[in-house]
This record gives sequence, C-alpha cells and structure tokens, in this order.
Amino acid sequence: MTTALKKKLTHFLSIAFFLMDKSRSYRRFRIMFSGVMFVIIFAPLVVVTALSSFEYRELLLKEERTQLHWNAEGAQKTIEAFMTKLTSVVKFVSKDRGCDDLLDQYVISKLLVNLKEEYPGFVDLGIIDYNGIQQVYAGPFRLEGYDYSEQDWFEKVLAREVYISEVFMGFREIPHFVIAVSFKVPDKEEYWILRASIDYEKLQKYISTINTGASKDIFLVNRQGVLQTRSNFFGEVLEQYSFSSMAEKGKISITESKLDGVSYLKAYVDIKNTPWVLGIVKEEFIHGKEWSSFQFRRRLIFIGCSLLAMVIIYQLVNFVTERLRESNEKRDLLMMEAEHSNKLASVGRLAAGVAHEINNPLAIIDQKAGLMTDLFEITGDFEHKEKLIKSIDGIHNAVERCKVITHRLLGFARRMDVVYERIDINALLKEVLGFLEQEALFNHIYFEFVFDENLPMILSDRGQLQQIFLNIINNGMDAIGHDGEMVLTTTLKDNTTIDVSICDSGPGMNPEIIKRIFDPFFSTKEAGKGTGLGLSITYGLVKKLGGHISVDSEVGQGATFTVSLPVNFTQE
Amino acid sequence: MEKIKLLIVDDEEEFAATLAERLELRGFISKGVSCGNNALEALASNFSPDVVLLDLKMPDMNGFEVLIEIKEKYPSIEVIMLTGHGAATGGKDSKERGAFDFIMKPVDIIELTDKIKSAYQKKESNPGKH
Repeated sequence: MTTALKKKLTHFLSIAFFLMDKSRSYRRFRIMFSGVMFVIIFAPLVVVTALSSFEYRELLLKEERTQLHWNAEGAQKTIEAFMTKLTSVVKFVSKDRGCDDLLDQYVISKLLVNLKEEYPGFVDLGIIDYNGIQQVYAGPFRLEGYDYSEQDWFEKVLAREVYISEVFMGFREIPHFVIAVSFKVPDKEEYWILRASIDYEKLQKYISTINTGASKDIFLVNRQGVLQTRSNFFGEVLEQYSFSSMAEKGKISITESKLDGVSYLKAYVDIKNTPWVLGIVKEEFIHGKEWSSFQFRRRLIFIGCSLLAMVIIYQLVNFVTERLRESNEKRDLLMMEAEHSNKLASVGRLAAGVAHEINNPLAIIDQKAGLMTDLFEITGDFEHKEKLIKSIDGIHNAVERCKVITHRLLGFARRMDVVYERIDINALLKEVLGFLEQEALFNHIYFEFVFDENLPMILSDRGQLQQIFLNIINNGMDAIGHDGEMVLTTTLKDNTTIDVSICDSGPGMNPEIIKRIFDPFFSTKEAGKGTGLGLSITYGLVKKLGGHISVDSEVGQGATFTVSLPVNFTQE
Repeated sequence: MEKIKLLIVDDEEEFAATLAERLELRGFISKGVSCGNNALEALASNFSPDVVLLDLKMPDMNGFEVLIEIKEKYPSIEVIMLTGHGAATGGKDSKERGAFDFIMKPVDIIELTDKIKSAYQKKESNPGKH
C-alpha cells in the first residue's frame, strides 16, 4: 500500500475514532464502519460483475453477428450452387439436342419425363423462337403458340444466356418460377429459348433443408419484397412484406428489429444470377440459452457473495466495535485510575503536610504541659493545685489523641511507595478500621472480628492492602447506610493462601448486579455519588498482589466479599 | 554520678527550650541551639555533649547532614533523631548513618530519657576518639 493511501486511511481512521470519541456513540461508529465495509466489498463486486456482464454481452453480440454472416454466406453459396445446377441441367438439355430434335413434340415430352424423374420439380418445358412464340411445349398446360414477346424476361434472356425468373402464380394457381436459356440455332443466326418451369416447392424444400436450427426463419424474397418462399414470420409465398433495406449487391447486410417484444437479427444477401434475396432471421442472443444461464449464474453468484459479505461485515463490525469499546473502557479506566491515584497522592501529600505542620505546635504544647507537670511536682501545695494538675493531664490526653491522628495521617501518606514486607493481616485490618472508626460509630455500624490468631504473616504491600480493605469495608458501610453490622473474618485457607472475608448486613445484590460489581464505572449508587471505580480498582489491586476476590450475596441477605491472598507472593 | 550532657538541636526554639528545662529538672545538663550550623559551632567550641538530640527538618542544614558531620568529626558522640516524619523515612536511614536511635514527636519524656541513658551507656562502653 502506498504511503499516500496509508496516510489517507490513517486520517480516515483517526476521524472515525475522533468522532466516536466525541460522540461516545458506538452506534454511529458501527453504521459508518458498516458503510465503509459495504462500499469496500460491494464496489469491486458490482464493478466486476457489471464489467464481466458487459464484456460477455459484447462478445455474444459480435459472435452472433459473425455467425449469422457465415450462415448467410453459407446459405447464399448453397443456393447459388443449387440454382447453377438447375440451370446447367436446362443448358445441357438445350445443348445436347439439336434444335430440330427439340422441336419434335415427342422428344420434348420425353425430355420432360426424364427431367422429372431426376428432378421432380420440373413442371414444363417449351421452346420459344426468336419472335417470342412458343413452338413446342411439354407440360400440363396448353401453351403452344403462346406469345412471350411482350414479357420483359424475353428481352432479358436474349441479352444474357440464362434467365431465372421470380416466383409467380402460374396457370394452375401454383407458384413457380422459370429458368430460360437461349441457344443459337446452328444454321440460322437466331437465338431460340428453352424455357423450363419449376414448381416453387422444389425451391421451398431446398430452402427448408438449408435451415439450420439456429435461425428462426429463412426465406427468399425478390427485390420488391415479395416472398418467393414461405416465411415463418412474414407470410406465405407471394405475399408482400415491408422490406426496408435493399441488400447491396454481393454484400450481406445485417439489421436488428423487434417483433412482439422479441429482438431479431435479419440478414439479407442477394443470390447471384437470380432475382432473389435470401433472408435469414435469428433471435438475438439475449433470448438464447447461453445468455440466460449466464445471467442466472451471475445473479446467483452476486447474491451469494452479497449474503456472505453481509454476514462477514456484520461479524467484523461487531468484533471491531467490541474491541474498540473494550479498549476504550480500559483506557478510560486507566486514566481514571491514574487520576484517582493522583488525587490520592495529593491528598496524601496534603495530609502529610498538615500532619507535619501540626506536629510541631503539638510538640510544644506537649512539652510545656509536661514542664508544668514537672514544676508542680516539686512545688508544695497551693490553692487549686489539684485542679491545675488535672487540667494538665487533660491537655496531655488531648495531645495524645492528636498524636494518634497525625501519626495515622502520616502512615496514610507513606503508602505511595510499593514495599513488600511481612504483614500481620489481623493488625492491618484493625488499623484500617481505625480510619473508619468515627464514621462507623456515627452511623451505628458495629464491627465484629473473627480472626485466626495463628495466621502467618504474609508478604505483600501494606499500602495496597490497606487500600483494598478500605475500599471493601467502605462499600459495605455505604450499603448498610445506618444501623447494621459488619463481620471481618480471617482464615488460613491452605498452606499458601489466607482468606479475608468482609460481610455486611446491607440489602444484598441480585445476580445481575453481582455479575457486574467489579466492572469499571458500574455503580448502584445514584448518579453523582461514587465513580463506580472503587471495586474495579480493588479487583485490579488484588490481582496485582497475586490474589483473588469474589462476592457472595443474595437480595435481603447482605453481601460477603472474600479476598484470598498468597502467603508468599513474588512478582515475576 | 556525673550528669549527662545534652545538646538539643531544633529549629522550634520554644520546643527546644522547654525540653531542655524539663531535662534539667531530671538531672541532665542541656543546651539548646536552633540550627545545624549553630550546633556545629557549639561542638567546635568547648561544649562537648554526650548525646545530641537532633531534629530532622531544619531550614539551613537538614538533620541528616548534621548527623553525618557530627559522626565524622565527633564519632564518640551519640545522636538521637527527633522526627515528625515517621519510622520508614527518617528512622531507618538515620540509623544507617550512625544515629543511635530515633523518637517521634510529640516526644514522650520518659521514653526520651530512657533512650538518652541507653545512648550514654553505649558511649561510655566505647573508648572513642574525641
């Protein structure tokens, strides 16, 4: 992938993430991502299928025209050969016999019979003199002496040696055509004509045999559009039909037309030495089997790919969105944790600062009071001595209390560093409770301790353990609200693990809540109260210390959090 | 019995003065100074205490630096650190540096006198350079 493309893609993705970031709308991201994937997958698919369809179409188009061309050419050649054969038969007859022979009625009749045997289509034979009068005639009609001089073919046949006529209705109401050849009478300088009529059926039969299955219709017309043979589409022989294009001499012309919603290709080619034009009609490829099966296959593939693509897109989008959501949440959690940690650090520093500031004046108060006590001891009795001594004791006690508080505060501030040491869990729990003593008393929450006195000291970080238990106990106290109990239990689970369970008499949790209790940002408190982070951070801390945390609860039965910790935890 | 001589080094003058007074009442000889430099001066002059009570947090030189100076120049003098910090940061480190012990403020007078006596014992049992 080129760098430019990479840049564009990165830019696009960053916009996507930015949008998603800002709107926090995974739905929007999903839609956009799906859209992109859709385009990426479907654009090439559509292009390829369209292109292949187009190409194939072009190919078929070209092919069918070529085919038709060949068909027409082939048919043209065959018909021409056939007509040449017929003509040469007639020519042969004229050349074979001398004129006198031919003028004999018997001869000509015999000739006709022989001809008919070989070529059943022949109807009659006649000899016409140079004036146009039929001298002899063999055939079903009475045409002896008939005058053909007015007929235009008469002129034509005298000009050329051979003449083939159009199909026309004959005397017996049967369509036929004529082949006439002129021959020179040996002694005289005259050209006489041998004329043979041929039943059009012969032509028709021949045309029919040429017809390959490929074309729907094949027929002959004359240049005026009168059908010379039967056409499937355009009518019976000798009927007229609109014949728009004039076939150029010798050239094959192919045109398109539509009939009853079906498209056809028509080819016209003229037949040499005849007044005829060959017409072939063929259905266009789009009606053919190949095209329809291609279309079918194409559509099938397209639909198949589309469905597959949809499934893939759906899965992919889901997958990516989920990963994104997870990673975002993780990041948010980390940021929150960092913020939290930061806050704690600040508070710690503040606390330490305060403690220090207070320590000094405290020390002074302490010493001064102490001095007073010392001096009173060496002084004799005087008025109010008792009271004064008692007051100073009171000052001492107050200072003691302050001392405890400042030391506790300093202890709290200390725990920023991670230090592994041997810790007495029971003592630590009591220490943590010390922080919450006031609040517990104020809310009438009573604590019970069920400690295993022989618990081994565990190797862990004091600060983090304090935070863990502080969180859990706080949670319990929040759940209770007012008037309740909490029981802290420590047990040795096995040689390498100790269990600490913290049980509260709060309202308990239903299975849905239990499932999500350690999720970041999940809180059962009303909005604004609590970040929903306490337990998720706790979970993380426990894991970091190589331990495990679980919760057991039923609605109305309170909740018990159990933290299992390794006795000897070492970080890898 | 000879009285134990003490030098109290603390930037809180009130505190140092009161403590000195109380210790005097208990039979110690005490002198108070308010900063590290003054302490070193005092030691350089003829006042030679047996035990120094040294505050950690002071403006010009912090307790550590003074401790190191003292231990370097007057290794026989025992030092007890007065700390408001807490065991972890102040105490352990200072012990490594040669302090005899540490005590947290606000100071319990009895605890302090006990420690002073122990320090003196140690001093007397080590024949040291002066």
